[in-house]
Amino acid sequence: MISCFSFSSCEKDDICDGNTLTTPRLVITFYDINNSSTEKSVTNLSIIANGMEDGITYEGSTLINGSTVAIPLKTDLDTTTFRFILNFGSSNTALVNEDIIEFNYGRENIFVSRACGFKTNFILNTTDPIVHTDAPTADLKWIQYYEVENRTIANENETHLKIYF
Amino acid sequence: MKHTLKSIFSSLLLLSLLFANAQDTKAPKPAKDSISTGLISAKTAVAVKPTAKTDTIAAPAVKKDRYGIRLGVDLFKLSRSFYDKDYKGIELVGDYRWDKKHYIAAEVGNENKTTDDARLNFTTKGSYLKVGFDYNGYENWLDMENIISIGLRYGFSTFNQQLNTFKIYNPNQYFEEIPSLTSGQKYNGLTASWIEVVAGMKAKVFDNVFVGFSLRLNRLITNKQPENFENLYIPGFNRTYNGDFGVGFNYTITYFVPIFKKVVKPTEKKTEKK
Repeated sequence: MISCFSFSSCEKDDICDGNTLTTPRLVITFYDINNSSTEKSVTNLSIIANGMEDGITYEGSTLINGSTVAIPLKTDLDTTTFRFILNFGSSNTALVNEDIIEFNYGRENIFVSRACGFKTNFILNTTDPIVHTDAPTADLKWIQYYEVENRTIANENETHLKIYF
Repeated sequence: MKHTLKSIFSSLLLLSLLFANAQDTKAPKPAKDSISTGLISAKTAVAVKPTAKTDTIAAPAVKKDRYGIRLGVDLFKLSRSFYDKDYKGIELVGDYRWDKKHYIAAEVGNENKTTDDARLNFTTKGSYLKVGFDYNGYENWLDMENIISIGLRYGFSTFNQQLNTFKIYNPNQYFEEIPSLTSGQKYNGLTASWIEVVAGMKAKVFDNVFVGFSLRLNRLITNKQPENFENLYIPGFNRTYNGDFGVGFNYTITYFVPIFKKVVKPTEKKTEKK
């Protein structure tokens, strides 16, 4: 019992463990428009939120070159708008193409723990979950089709949005 | 701050236990001395006998144990209410001497505490009752009435929580972290019950006034949690940790109200028969 008392002063649960499931990102998987069951990699895709200068970082890079990406949504607003710029920074300006996607959702704040506080889960709207438009300087949309796979964004283990191009 | 406080009190307990042991070892000493002097003066048997006689004459002086109720207050909670603006609390303590070594003990209290953590700020209000017993393991000399005890309590608390502000944890730092959000959400009708192991000591400072200190290790039995929040603080149980354990202490001043006296049967005779 004495040792219990001595150890009680060493206990630490004030730091939010990185493995804890907290506010999730929205997971997008890219597919081939010509073969809708095949994943397709994007090249140098930059995803920049409105009002931000730099793109989001995914797996250590701001240029995405895979078929999957996870993007953060604003936890203080019910809408977040991103510019999806393909071949970002390419010297061949003909390849650069920008589309704009607006995400509309509801938020739910869920208690996690003393150390982490709360997290926010998102639920994409049923009527207008996604508003897809071309860039202000029209360059034709590179995104041909999209499909909401999971409206509820509670973890990053599943795809929430499928984009075909 | 809390951790340092806890470690200070843990070490205090350790010290008090050592101190208690030290006293215990002192007690048998005079006996040994008398035996050794007896051996030394064994040659002069005549000289030994009278001293033995005077001993037996001194022993029958009737020793009486006082029985009664001890009532008091936890000075820590009382004083904290003055210097900590986020805390208001009081704990009344009492015990009744059941037999020579056992005391029926109880604590009743009320707390109103606002906890300000890095990511949460919440207020807990409620009352609690703890009932159990203490076993006094300390052998008093003559008419001393000190106590070094170990005991058990069953604790029950009824309370409510109010979440004042909270922060959203977002591992992704792309957007600036939003400031604390104001909630005001109230969670009513919460209850918890637990078992406490109590290590304590009480010393008579003068007449019927005792000063005491106790350390408690708690384990939750039941805990009615609110929806979408947690009982991070329970009145009487204190801060909850991952898992069901908690710790507590009190620093009491009590007044003993004597009710009756019991004659202590001299134990020396028994040892002589053996």
